[in-house]
Amino acid sequence: MLAYFARRLVFAVFLVFAVSSASLLLARLAPGDYASESLGLGARRETIDEARERLGLNRSIASQYRDWLVRAAHFDFGRSLQYDRPVSDLIPESAKNTAILALTALVVATLIGLPLGVITGKQQAGWAGGAGKAGRAGRAGGIIAGAIRSVSLVLLSLPPLLTSLFLVFAAAKTGLLPVGGMTSSVNGGTVGDLLSHMVVPVAALALPLVAMFERLQSQAMSETAGQPFVIATLARGVPLSRVIWRDALKNALRPVASVYGLVIGTLLSGSFAVETITAWPGLGQLMLTALRARDIYLVTGCAAAGSIFLAAGTLVSDAALAIVDPRTAER
Amino acid sequence: MLAIRAEPRTFNSLTVPDTTTEILASLTQAKLVRINRVTDELEPWLAESWTRSDDGLRYVVKLRPNASFSDGHPLTASDVVFSLAAAYAVRSVAITLEVDGKRLRAEATDPQTVTITFPATFAPGLRMLERLPVLPRHKLEATLSSGAIDKALNLATPPSELVGPGPFVLKEYLPGQRLVYGRNPHYWRRDAAGGQLPYLDRVIVEIVPDTNTQLLRLESGQTDMTTGEVPAESYASIKRAADANTLKLYDLGPGLNANALWFNLKPGSMGADPRAAWLQRDQLRQAISMAVDRKLFADTVYLGAGVPVFGPITPANKRWYWSGTPQTPHDPAAAKALLATIGLADRNGDGVLEDAGGKPAQFTLLTQKGRSPLERGVAVIRDELKKIGLVVDIAALDGGAMIQRIVASKYDAVYFNPTWSDTDPAASADFWLSSGSFHYWNAEQKTPATRWERQIDDLIVKQMHSIDEQERKRLFDSVQTIFAEHLPVVYFVAPHIFVAASTRVVNATPALWAGPQLLWSPDTVAVAR
Repeated sequence: MLAYFARRLVFAVFLVFAVSSASLLLARLAPGDYASESLGLGARRETIDEARERLGLNRSIASQYRDWLVRAAHFDFGRSLQYDRPVSDLIPESAKNTAILALTALVVATLIGLPLGVITGKQQAGWAGGAGKAGRAGRAGGIIAGAIRSVSLVLLSLPPLLTSLFLVFAAAKTGLLPVGGMTSSVNGGTVGDLLSHMVVPVAALALPLVAMFERLQSQAMSETAGQPFVIATLARGVPLSRVIWRDALKNALRPVASVYGLVIGTLLSGSFAVETITAWPGLGQLMLTALRARDIYLVTGCAAAGSIFLAAGTLVSDAALAIVDPRTAER
Repeated sequence: MLAIRAEPRTFNSLTVPDTTTEILASLTQAKLVRINRVTDELEPWLAESWTRSDDGLRYVVKLRPNASFSDGHPLTASDVVFSLAAAYAVRSVAITLEVDGKRLRAEATDPQTVTITFPATFAPGLRMLERLPVLPRHKLEATLSSGAIDKALNLATPPSELVGPGPFVLKEYLPGQRLVYGRNPHYWRRDAAGGQLPYLDRVIVEIVPDTNTQLLRLESGQTDMTTGEVPAESYASIKRAADANTLKLYDLGPGLNANALWFNLKPGSMGADPRAAWLQRDQLRQAISMAVDRKLFADTVYLGAGVPVFGPITPANKRWYWSGTPQTPHDPAAAKALLATIGLADRNGDGVLEDAGGKPAQFTLLTQKGRSPLERGVAVIRDELKKIGLVVDIAALDGGAMIQRIVASKYDAVYFNPTWSDTDPAASADFWLSSGSFHYWNAEQKTPATRWERQIDDLIVKQMHSIDEQERKRLFDSVQTIFAEHLPVVYFVAPHIFVAASTRVVNATPALWAGPQLLWSPDTVAVAR
């Protein structure tokens, strides 16, 4: 088990290094740069050249990358070109805000998606139904499960961009929730205020995840239902609900646990669209600003932070998988 | 409460000339003189009055005796002299404060008087100093001496150190969220009734990157005004809110700026590309101007809210617009005939024009990605030119990438939205003069590449140095005529400018100038309780 986690840790370090390096090189190779972007149309060629010289943008890619590597090894990710501040000063606050949003969305999606998956999976496995009262309950359950599946399909096909646009629109039209931002400018800063601002972005991020978890869990549950250990447990007279919520659920968690890492990583590395539309001051918004300004060191810093989150998410996912299915760690 | 799209990059308006910095500077900084955005007239601001010498070279400026910075330190002539020195230390700003490549001299005659000497007669005179914020010498002198003025007043500067003579002071900055401004207790200005300005106790600037979200916040009462224009595609929803009396929508009429199409006219920049034989010819641009239906353009790109234009000066610039500017009619057949004169004809009957060598008449049109009026505009241009047999490939690039291509002259054609920094043509000489960096189709020429550019150079130089206003107008009319005949830049439509504010906002005087149209005079804006 220890060797397994050591391997995963080495992979995580490599992932962070590879993503950061690639983002620096790609940002540097892309046409245009901070000097021409910030000085704009009409700037004299000589002024742009001076700015490039001052900012070190006229150096070769190899030299720039080498210097960045040396500094990064000492946890110095350079200075943001547009803010003229160390990148390491700019990232933590945004990363914290993204983490608040992402982890809440994940918890919400898990708490809603998994039980819904159990309900629809149970129906698919034929564990509901029978004659008389049980039959009526089963038919009602079937209608509910069908409705859940339909909603899931709709949510799965809706990208968070559209969901957030719709939710922001609904918030503006109903006046029930704040339209964007993290706190209110007047009487803001309380936990209640923060929570009210979180509703729209969390819902935008969580709804597609709810659908994904429901679908995965449902499929896994229906497959687990046919497993010999489930049939044997039921034959021993263990109540169906206990079999479903204790034995089958644990066994069916494997597919969900295996995607958890990617989901955590993707969420934590910042959802550009959701953060931009809901004006959430997170990593995604910071990276978008950096990309627009061609602030290569800030882009790299954001990518590095995102990849750290992705690596951490993958590690958590591996740990969850090892707990659910210890054979994974033995391979 | 208002919203801006982008996080500020600095609080130093000398270094970054972007809209966000301009909006924030309008709250905390002030200048010697101000151009009234509604009347277009120069007004005394920190300067109480001035006199001009007979030769037009020397201005003696009297400062307001009660002017001070937000920390209570008196604002004196030495601050003005210092500010000019600070501006000249920033290369990109220095060139905007030069006449004929030479700098202005400023001298503090006494604490309330500053003498400004121009190197040559300059018709707009002190109007040039509208771009110069008056900075606190007592706070920044050491920074200027150490050569780091461009690094001063950055985002890490504590709010208490951001001292200015503007109506507000920064109280709090939450990165990614908002900036909170409070009243400057030492502000010098009073209203006509003698009441202390500004009227507002507090201004909150929220950072909201998405334009749609900004407008939804406005509609739901979570912000009070737009800091930019309402895009054409959002007009309908804002109009509904205005009809329901929850918002005020201002139609300011056609704007001062129209999006522009130009070709790379730098001689030799196309190397051995045989297309140079027709791509850099006047007839191509004249044919394009004839081929594009400006009414269709206004309807498609601006949903009908725009007026046709045929030159860079739009009817919104009342003082300098020349109604006699030659206009190209919408005439695709004549456009095709004109193209035939430069060797472009449909030689194989496929509907596409070919050059003398049989190569299709095709060029790439660059524009900025993510700007819907530009993206819709290039689509209309492509479709209209297809009708006369010209093939247009569209390439939408990021702003920086596009500007780099323009500066390096590595492009065929560009469709973009350059904006004027002043309505007075002498203040925009960088555009008209062949040596100018804003003469983007062939910038920074050592000697004029064409006869008509030389003619324009001569007229603009005369116009810039004349202090006879009628003579200036006559000279500039001629410039516009020559420009329209050769069309180095083709303009199609000047869009109407719409801005919106909450109904509780009073005293806002919306103006056409790009920048904070509703907040250019922030000290007199108020909200009804």
